[in-house]
Amino acid sequence: MSQIGFYFDQTRCTGCNTCSVACKDWYNIDAGPVNLMRVKVIERGKFPDLFAAHLICPCYHCSDPACVKACPAQAITRRDSDGIVVVDHEKCIGTEECPERCLKACPYDAPQFGPEADAKMVKCDLCLGRLTEGKKPICVEACPMMAIDVGPLDELKTKYAGSQEAEGFKYSKTCKPSVVFKPKTCTLKD
Amino acid sequence: MNMDGMEERGEDHVTIVPTGCCHDCGGRCVLRAHVKNGRIIRVETDVGNEPQIRACLRGRAYRQRVYHPDRLKYPMRRTGNRGDGKFERIGWDEALDEVAAKLKEIKNTYGNASILFLPGSGNQGMLHGPIPVGLMLQQFGGFTRFWGGVSYEGALFASMATYGTIRTGNSRDDLLNSRFIIMWGWNPANTIWDPETNLYLARAREKGIKIVSIDPRFTDSAAIFADQWIPIRPGTDAAMLIAMAYVVITENLYDKTFVDRFTVGFDKYRDYVLGIEDKEPKTPEWAESITTVPAGVIQDLAREYATQKPAALIAGWGPARTAMGEQYSRAANVLTAITGNIGINGGYAAGFMRAYSSREMKYIRPQDSGKQRDKSKGIPSSNPVEDGALPRKDSLYKLSGGTNSTSARMHYTKVYDAIIKGRSGGYPSDLKMAYIVASNCINQYPNTNYGVKALKTLDFVVVHEQFMTATAKFADILLPVNTFMERSDIAPPWLGSPYYIYLNKAIDSLYESKSDLEICRELSKRIDVPRGFFEMSEDDILRLFTSKREDIKDYDTMKRDGVLKIKLSEPIVSFKDQIRDPENNPFPTLSGKIEIDCDHLAEMKNARIPSIPKYLSHDEHYDAPKSAEYPLQLLTTHFKTRAHSTWHNIPWMQEIEPHAVWINSVDAENRGVKDGDMVDVFNDRGRIRIPAKVTERIMPGVVNVSQGAWYDPDEEGVDKGGCANVLTKDDKSPGGAVQVNSALVQVEPSPRE
Repeated sequence: MSQIGFYFDQTRCTGCNTCSVACKDWYNIDAGPVNLMRVKVIERGKFPDLFAAHLICPCYHCSDPACVKACPAQAITRRDSDGIVVVDHEKCIGTEECPERCLKACPYDAPQFGPEADAKMVKCDLCLGRLTEGKKPICVEACPMMAIDVGPLDELKTKYAGSQEAEGFKYSKTCKPSVVFKPKTCTLKD
Repeated sequence: MNMDGMEERGEDHVTIVPTGCCHDCGGRCVLRAHVKNGRIIRVETDVGNEPQIRACLRGRAYRQRVYHPDRLKYPMRRTGNRGDGKFERIGWDEALDEVAAKLKEIKNTYGNASILFLPGSGNQGMLHGPIPVGLMLQQFGGFTRFWGGVSYEGALFASMATYGTIRTGNSRDDLLNSRFIIMWGWNPANTIWDPETNLYLARAREKGIKIVSIDPRFTDSAAIFADQWIPIRPGTDAAMLIAMAYVVITENLYDKTFVDRFTVGFDKYRDYVLGIEDKEPKTPEWAESITTVPAGVIQDLAREYATQKPAALIAGWGPARTAMGEQYSRAANVLTAITGNIGINGGYAAGFMRAYSSREMKYIRPQDSGKQRDKSKGIPSSNPVEDGALPRKDSLYKLSGGTNSTSARMHYTKVYDAIIKGRSGGYPSDLKMAYIVASNCINQYPNTNYGVKALKTLDFVVVHEQFMTATAKFADILLPVNTFMERSDIAPPWLGSPYYIYLNKAIDSLYESKSDLEICRELSKRIDVPRGFFEMSEDDILRLFTSKREDIKDYDTMKRDGVLKIKLSEPIVSFKDQIRDPENNPFPTLSGKIEIDCDHLAEMKNARIPSIPKYLSHDEHYDAPKSAEYPLQLLTTHFKTRAHSTWHNIPWMQEIEPHAVWINSVDAENRGVKDGDMVDVFNDRGRIRIPAKVTERIMPGVVNVSQGAWYDPDEEGVDKGGCANVLTKDDKSPGGAVQVNSALVQVEPSPRE
């Protein structure tokens, strides 16, 4: 199989959140705690020596996902064909029965829970439906800076000469997230 | 695809309607509305050929605006006191009969000049928003209106004075031809400034072109695109630019050949810069004491800019929205000229910075010149109230372009004063009613509290709106207007991009809302206005409007695709012809050259509008006596989740970044303020109460309240909505700039509730 993952050009991202809003519109997610594509702001330094960058936080579709192991109901699976990590809402037992074990296990806070008492886990599925139709995920198509791409991880690594590290991101050796970056380098002196 | 430009998606009966986003940001972007059972279920953006015109977060959130529960659903009549926001539901006939009766009564009693028309920028299409209302009221005998664009008037005035035109920009692809780019007070990451701008800045950076940002804030643009950020004290930009000219002149880095061939007045400017005129050499050290920018930084930047040719100095409009705003713009224009960065690929003339434009590129066939006459004897206008009025003392009336050539007598910032004082205050008329369309004036004009007082004195106020904005609350009759998803229109390009967006109607009007055109159709019958135009369909009118534009060759294809992208054979470079072949292509100024020293300005004999660019202080400046009481300089910048006050009420936008006052950690600590604390920001004009965002990303001594948050006063008049204009001054620069970035304030912790 060929693991599918994300590419993110951190040097281009202006933190506009268009990806995040496009995702909420596409999946009809209200404003609130559920956000399948979060954008983290990283700020460093003291006036006037400053650095700022942004990081997209979807689900990085780890090749050894901690959430899969943590789930007591076997609701989360990693697809054999492409490595996309998906959740079966029929099987998820929800927050009344389970203390969000998947979220606690995930180093990237990808699993999301709504405000309702028995919320079931939702997360980015890489726009599986759109991929099946031959389209790119909605965030990729939305980004005005063309800073996001999705594809077989090996191809992304070759195409972009990507790095495993970026500002605000720590590569988890145990989970092996499927993401490559063009990182923004902090120019501040220590 | 069928002829209506609508694409069927078979399996689930979703129709994709090509339309576009059309409010007053720096965009105009492609949207594709997915419609199922008459309802928009989601949107996409441009998935077509490069260059794609991708919508930003605002456009992507539009569904929440269309289906917002607070949409105005039916016509209403005021029941409480004006401004309280208490209304009763009425029918369209009743509402329009009342508006018609008031219009006729006021016209018959006081004359057309007593009708104040306040068109706003809330819709940017060719057809809807204020456009049909203006046409209707002109035919009704006219109205009083204002001059002065809040966004750009300082830049416009300076552009006209220096170049005689507002078409001074290059298309964005030309950025890749630069060797050095300065983003002066320019934050396109938030303000868009044409949809392709940010991508080209990123590409320029990737190409190794050095980019410098000069801004009191470490903006998203500074953080992402710039190699160097130079914080500068607000309102002092002219001083730094003049000191850069000092370095360029004293170190012989200026382009003598260019100056000799293409400019007038260099010697006079040089004498001012070197201190020969006033014994004050404008050295980098002189500028350091004013701007806080170290002299060495100014010196290095001047050298780099002058020697790294071609270099693009992009002079944003924000620093010109100050009490002496045109001096900054003039100084920027002149710096581009003396370094010879004009009319060449990779250069940039600063100025107003329009690039692609049907009008300036002469794709619009010239109108009948029968009305052209000597403007010193009166300016022709299609508004009968103004037709033939003499030019204003402070206008560049000998030049054609922008609001300089309008005959309106009242400045944007003086609308409220004119309502209150009328003729006795020196204004052109006593105003009795306001007709407000696509404008949230209470929120967006300076000095909100004065506006509240003013609108309460009128006999009658009618408002076209989509939501219960601060301004809608002041209506006597409030008419619900649909959104661009519910009507067809065409969005022309904003400042510089070669494309048009065709906004196909995606869904029927919600509730009882109507388009502005439909309202005028009904109202024009009632006020006996010739109805030819108002009988026409949207499509017929759009065909008529575009028939004058030679760059729209195939209306039907544009309508079907929702966008017309015009291929340029080469990047647009303003003034290329003037530089290549000056004999046959003079600059459109009175001298035919770039006017470093402008005779038209000299004729005004006003020391506050000198004929050469100068650094001038004013009574809301950092060094003004008032700064003892109000030591912080207020910026009222654009916010990334709003276009002015539009989108403020959209949940998807509000959760991205809450409205707050930016304050540096040093200023916060001195006041015992921590991040997230509620604070009062106040001056003599008013008080707002909002959370503090304590950040290193704004320089000490400066606070920022982004404009556009909705005014929401409590019983004591404290605005808990955080409307920036509660604090701004209702005054203009001598050249007409709206000085919303020149206001002194103080910040203190809010009282505990």
